[in-house]
Amino acid sequence: MKDEFVLSKTNLPYWLRQLRKKADLIGPLRSLNGDIIFSSIVNIHEMILDCPASIPSPKEFLFPQKEEMYKFSQKGVNTLNDNGKRIIFGVRSCDISAIALLDRFYGGLLEDDFYMSRRRNTCFISIACNNPDPTCFCSGLGTGPALKTGFDLQFTDLGDRYLVQAGSREGLRMINGFMHLFLLPEKADRDDQYEVLLSSQSIFEKRITLENVRQKILAGKVPDSFWESVASRCFECGGCVYECPLCTCFNVIDWKEKDNKGTRMRLWDTCMFKGFTKMAGNVLPAGKKIMRTKRWYFHKLLYYPEQFGRFGCVGCGRCTITCPGRIDIATIANKLD
Amino acid sequence: MKKISTVCPYCGCGCGLYVHVEKDIITGVSPVRNHPVNKGSLCVKGWNCFEFVQHPGRLKYPLIKKDGVFKKSSWDEALDWTAENLLKVKEKFGPDSIGMLSSAKCTNEENFLMMKFSRAVVGTNNIDHCARLCHSSTVGGLAKAFGSGAMTNSIDEIDSSRVLFVIGSNTTEQHPMIGMHMLDAVDRGATLIVADPRKTQIAEFAKIHLRHRCGTDVALLNGMMNVIINEGLVDLDFVRRRTENFDDFEKIVMRYPLDIAEKITGVPAVDIRRVARIYATEKRSMLFYSMGITQHITGVDNVRSCANLVMLTAHIGLPMTGLNPLRGQNNVQGACDMGALPDVYSGYQKVTDKKARKKFESAWGAKLPSVPGRTLTEMFDAAGGEIRAMYIMGENPVISDPDASHVTEAIKKLDFLVVQDIFMSDTAELASVVLPAVTFAEKDGTFTNTERRVQKLKKAIRPVCGAMPDWRIISELSKRMGYEMEYGATHEIMEEAALLTPSYGGILHHRLNNFGLQWPCPGIDHSGTTFMHRKAFTKGMGSFIPIDFVPPAEPVDGDYPFILTTGRISFHYHTGTMCRRTSTLEREEPDCFVEINPADAESLGIKTHDRLSVSSRRGEIVVNASVTDRTPEGIVFIPFHFREAAVNLITNPALDPTAKIPEYKVCAVNIAPVVPKPDEEGKFFSRRENR
Amino acid sequence: MKNKNKKGLYLPVDAKINDVIDLTPDVKLYKLRKPQSFFYSPGQFVMASIWGAGEVPISITSTSEIHQDIELCIRKAGFVTSALHRLNPGDSIGIRGPLGNRFPFEDAYGKDVLFIAGGIGIAPLRSLINLVIEKRKNFGKIALIYGSKTPTEVLFMPETQNWKENGIDLTLTIDVECKEWECSFGLVTEHINRQSISFESGYAFICGPHVMINAAMHDLSLLGMPAENIITTIEAHMKCGVGKCGHCYSDGRYVCTDGPVFSYAEIREFGMASP
Ligand SMILES: Cc1cc2nc3c(=O)[nH]c(=O)nc-3n(C[C@H](O)[C@H](O)[C@H](O)COP(=O)(O)OP(=O)(O)OC[C@H]3O[C@@H](n4cnc5c(N)ncnc54)[C@H](O)[C@@H]3O)c2cc1C
Ligand code: SF4
Ligand code: SF4
Ligand code: FES
Repeated sequence: MKDEFVLSKTNLPYWLRQLRKKADLIGPLRSLNGDIIFSSIVNIHEMILDCPASIPSPKEFLFPQKEEMYKFSQKGVNTLNDNGKRIIFGVRSCDISAIALLDRFYGGLLEDDFYMSRRRNTCFISIACNNPDPTCFCSGLGTGPALKTGFDLQFTDLGDRYLVQAGSREGLRMINGFMHLFLLPEKADRDDQYEVLLSSQSIFEKRITLENVRQKILAGKVPDSFWESVASRCFECGGCVYECPLCTCFNVIDWKEKDNKGTRMRLWDTCMFKGFTKMAGNVLPAGKKIMRTKRWYFHKLLYYPEQFGRFGCVGCGRCTITCPGRIDIATIANKLD
Repeated sequence: MKKISTVCPYCGCGCGLYVHVEKDIITGVSPVRNHPVNKGSLCVKGWNCFEFVQHPGRLKYPLIKKDGVFKKSSWDEALDWTAENLLKVKEKFGPDSIGMLSSAKCTNEENFLMMKFSRAVVGTNNIDHCARLCHSSTVGGLAKAFGSGAMTNSIDEIDSSRVLFVIGSNTTEQHPMIGMHMLDAVDRGATLIVADPRKTQIAEFAKIHLRHRCGTDVALLNGMMNVIINEGLVDLDFVRRRTENFDDFEKIVMRYPLDIAEKITGVPAVDIRRVARIYATEKRSMLFYSMGITQHITGVDNVRSCANLVMLTAHIGLPMTGLNPLRGQNNVQGACDMGALPDVYSGYQKVTDKKARKKFESAWGAKLPSVPGRTLTEMFDAAGGEIRAMYIMGENPVISDPDASHVTEAIKKLDFLVVQDIFMSDTAELASVVLPAVTFAEKDGTFTNTERRVQKLKKAIRPVCGAMPDWRIISELSKRMGYEMEYGATHEIMEEAALLTPSYGGILHHRLNNFGLQWPCPGIDHSGTTFMHRKAFTKGMGSFIPIDFVPPAEPVDGDYPFILTTGRISFHYHTGTMCRRTSTLEREEPDCFVEINPADAESLGIKTHDRLSVSSRRGEIVVNASVTDRTPEGIVFIPFHFREAAVNLITNPALDPTAKIPEYKVCAVNIAPVVPKPDEEGKFFSRRENR
Repeated sequence: MKNKNKKGLYLPVDAKINDVIDLTPDVKLYKLRKPQSFFYSPGQFVMASIWGAGEVPISITSTSEIHQDIELCIRKAGFVTSALHRLNPGDSIGIRGPLGNRFPFEDAYGKDVLFIAGGIGIAPLRSLINLVIEKRKNFGKIALIYGSKTPTEVLFMPETQNWKENGIDLTLTIDVECKEWECSFGLVTEHINRQSISFESGYAFICGPHVMINAAMHDLSLLGMPAENIITTIEAHMKCGVGKCGHCYSDGRYVCTDGPVFSYAEIREFGMASP
């Protein structure tokens, strides 16, 4: 299913306003201190439309840092599935690729009902990226700057108008009621789109081939002394995992109030902490930092390909921004390659 | 879903972060990417700083203790009762019988109000806060040397410096984001020198790591300066033009030739010489120090020696060149700036200075006391005697102060104790009345980070039911004690503070949106100061102060053969009121431990995880062993976050004579393995709730 | 393994405690009423949950073919297990499961079988031992080495005698010599080569502390047992039990869904970290 339309920029606010009536519209805003943050849109004209980078990744809308799962009391247990409708506008292609992988991870036979309930009620409008940051390297991984499949709606900015591609039924549904706002694309539109893609490819500063790194590790060419030097720089902040659009780990905790009431919730967790694998009696299977650094890198570079046929990295560059020790995947890959 | 830009409530780095809120529930945080300090990073505490905010253990209503048990009460009742009792004590024993502890965790506005409350409403200068225990030696020491006791440079400058001399600071763990800038600087070719008895993470990146004996910093620094003078590396021009008292100082330094320095410190003379040369000859040298310098009986001396060193080499008064005390708490700088100290008003204006006092008297319409009040440590010493009542806001002295059992005893002797906190802390347990306050996410205000950056805090959620912002509580209390405090919002308090505080003159809420302003900022058109002492020191000429080496108060002996030094670990913060209610942090380090060198461990037959008794002349605690070569032989290290093994039961309350800071960093202890009692294990499990 | 709990992956169902038996001072045996359509095999585990305390993985120690109830054998090891220990008959425990894979006992049909258990490790093995006795004629010689630290820590003492009567060559051993004990002494590994089973073709099922497992696997393979025939369970920190939380992940495998039962061959191939 792939349907293409053209939407004039003048019509965009009207269309979004209509969509907002049925869902929480979330998009990129510039905060007072210059950052781009995704939050609920009050004034549509304040939205930043040039596909900017944001931290954290949009996984926070499907798998928030803290998610209440159950409320329990003497009377029984309540499941707190979040099924609020959300439309998230202005997401980058790399993040859409990540969500496609998250869908496979949380979905499937053992379906995570908390993730899926949010997922089913969330539509993503992505933008073919024409504005990659110096930290981005999706182009080498095929997870951006533009996608062929996997999106609900993909916009390509053609100056005064957008080329809109629908990649899912949910995507089409957002357009269907408003056909009067959309045109069918002509050859000029397609030519313009092609040019945008070409030019965005040329902006990338980083050329990283994770495959080379994988081969090196598999061939045993990366000695432990290398990982030791990486680990020694780790601040154990967990930022790499929290920021990563693909990292899925969580902890489950119970908060008990008076009279046996309480909440069971899950929180983002990270394998960068020794307590992550701690077992009763203070047994620490990954007591040394190097074990945890290797674990993270090997999972992303060796075992994701085994399990999903893709790297556990979409090249969004967020760990490069956030890692205080400067041992993010791009830096390490550059060193190894 | 909203994201509110605010400031991390943990350490003095003052990282910017967003609090994510959905339906009045905090669902997460994320770092501010453009922030000059954290640049899109956070440390593990920052990443998890939201969890305690809506923890079920929060205090939700005032509690009044009647017949030894706490009873739930209404705000009116609790405030009336508090006002009545404070007034009673004031009438009977005079205003100076009441002591106030303000808080480095509260906002500038709240600290300002607290000091106004103390001075104008109660009428006493008995106000202090935990800076007494961390950087009072900096405030005092640098006031004498430069006229101002704060970081001279900005964190952002670190990246481009050439030499980083870090003494007594475990930077990557205690000020992680400053540590990040330091690693960046090292990556860009800067030379890092670390002086620390322990092998900390930052020391692994040092070109030279000096492992001097605990408490011998003065000898080390004097030895370095001796080399600098002897080898003609002194910046004579600077010394002549901008400083005074060089000759007296030189005489003392000449008594510390390298062989003597080596003997005292245990650092090889060649290393001292190398460090002295590197530090003196490179330009853009930044010196950093923290509690390893200040928490000694010679705290002030240590600080002054650092000041001597930077003046000697002219490493001050320029960008990337200066003396940088790293302040611990998120707002300890602000609490000092706002005058939550017994001898100064906001902006370090002395209470003994008639003109300043007049100014405050006329602004506040009240007669103010002119004699400096008691320090925190002195208040506890006088408790039950000349101090009859105390008002403690957001502090937990029962765990944080040295010789903790003495503090508990002292508090029990009080006639009346008000504690204002967010959780039932150990101090609150002892209170006559407990007032529930709110966390950083539920109120407005400003925090001043360690680089003097005043940043705005924004309210993200409504206060958890029943709790009230500290500034509201203080003004309500004040009203009930017969002094009207009418503030509609926190920016009005800041306006008043700005009016009365020259260095904060231009610091007004509406000017703080873009990562705040760094004081001194004297006026509304001033854009703040990134580095200090340009062209002249705050007090005019910088003063060299001759310092002789004094050994620590408690030397090791046959009964207590180990030196104990205390500190923090990256996963926890101070007495753990907040972080130990954060599952991730608590899971990482749930138990207190003592770090001991493998050689010592072997001679005592100790393995990691063994239970050990650590005892000093003051008491005993039982902790787990952690055998590591991070600590050198003869020295053991215990973090002070754990109430069940409160290391401050055994630390030495010996004080620095001027700053009254206790010697947390050195005391003599003995170590012996213990066999756990059979019932102990059960207790140990049930303790950890709500991880 | 399908997601049978329609209501949600992480929602435990209440199982009433029919009986609690103190096995040793810190180990209790819980007999739970079996929820509907709860089918399990030896080696599988459940997540046992108490609202307000948390969830922990616990092996099922009963055998579905023999026992009416689900039996869990729980050692007090920390916060949640202490909370479980405070429960009495009539209370309920939330359970999710059965989770994980099972012992591939059919492979051992017609072969000799050696069980090696250390401490609480007898719990998951008990499920299999009872099944093997039930299907006694399908197997060759059967032997069990069961080691404990002290005599007071031996679990299921009466039942072991029962097993013995059913033709299991039983070695009960405790770590250090002491008077009250009339069986063997020494670590389990010291007894392996005395067994009269055929190591070359037989199967071994091992459960216990990491150190013991590693030593036993190593010794058995030295005695000529093929790595595929040496079967063990791996312990890991677990939060979800269904391959989502990541806590039990190690070198490309989720212990909760790909395990907890692994063969020595797999463990070697994946270089799974063992402390
Ligand atoms: C597949 C499997 C089967 C098990 N079967 C049994 C059994 O039959 N009987 C028995 O007594 N014990 C069994 N255990 C061990 C048991 O799960 C731990 O003793 C228990 O989790 C300790 O939890 P706690 O809260 O009491 O301890 P704490 O130390 O307070 O644990 C905190 C948290 O860490 C996790 N955790 C800690 N230790 C372990 C561990 N060893 N394994 C998994 N998660 C852990 C849990 O999530 C727990 O909530 C089994 C473990 C696994 C992995
Ligand atoms: S972001 Fe960097 S410093 Fe932080 S945990 Fe990850 S690797 Fe370590
Ligand atoms: S470095 Fe300090 S201010 Fe920054 S996130 Fe960590 S605790 Fe908070
Ligand atoms: S226990 Fe959660 S992934 Fe295995």
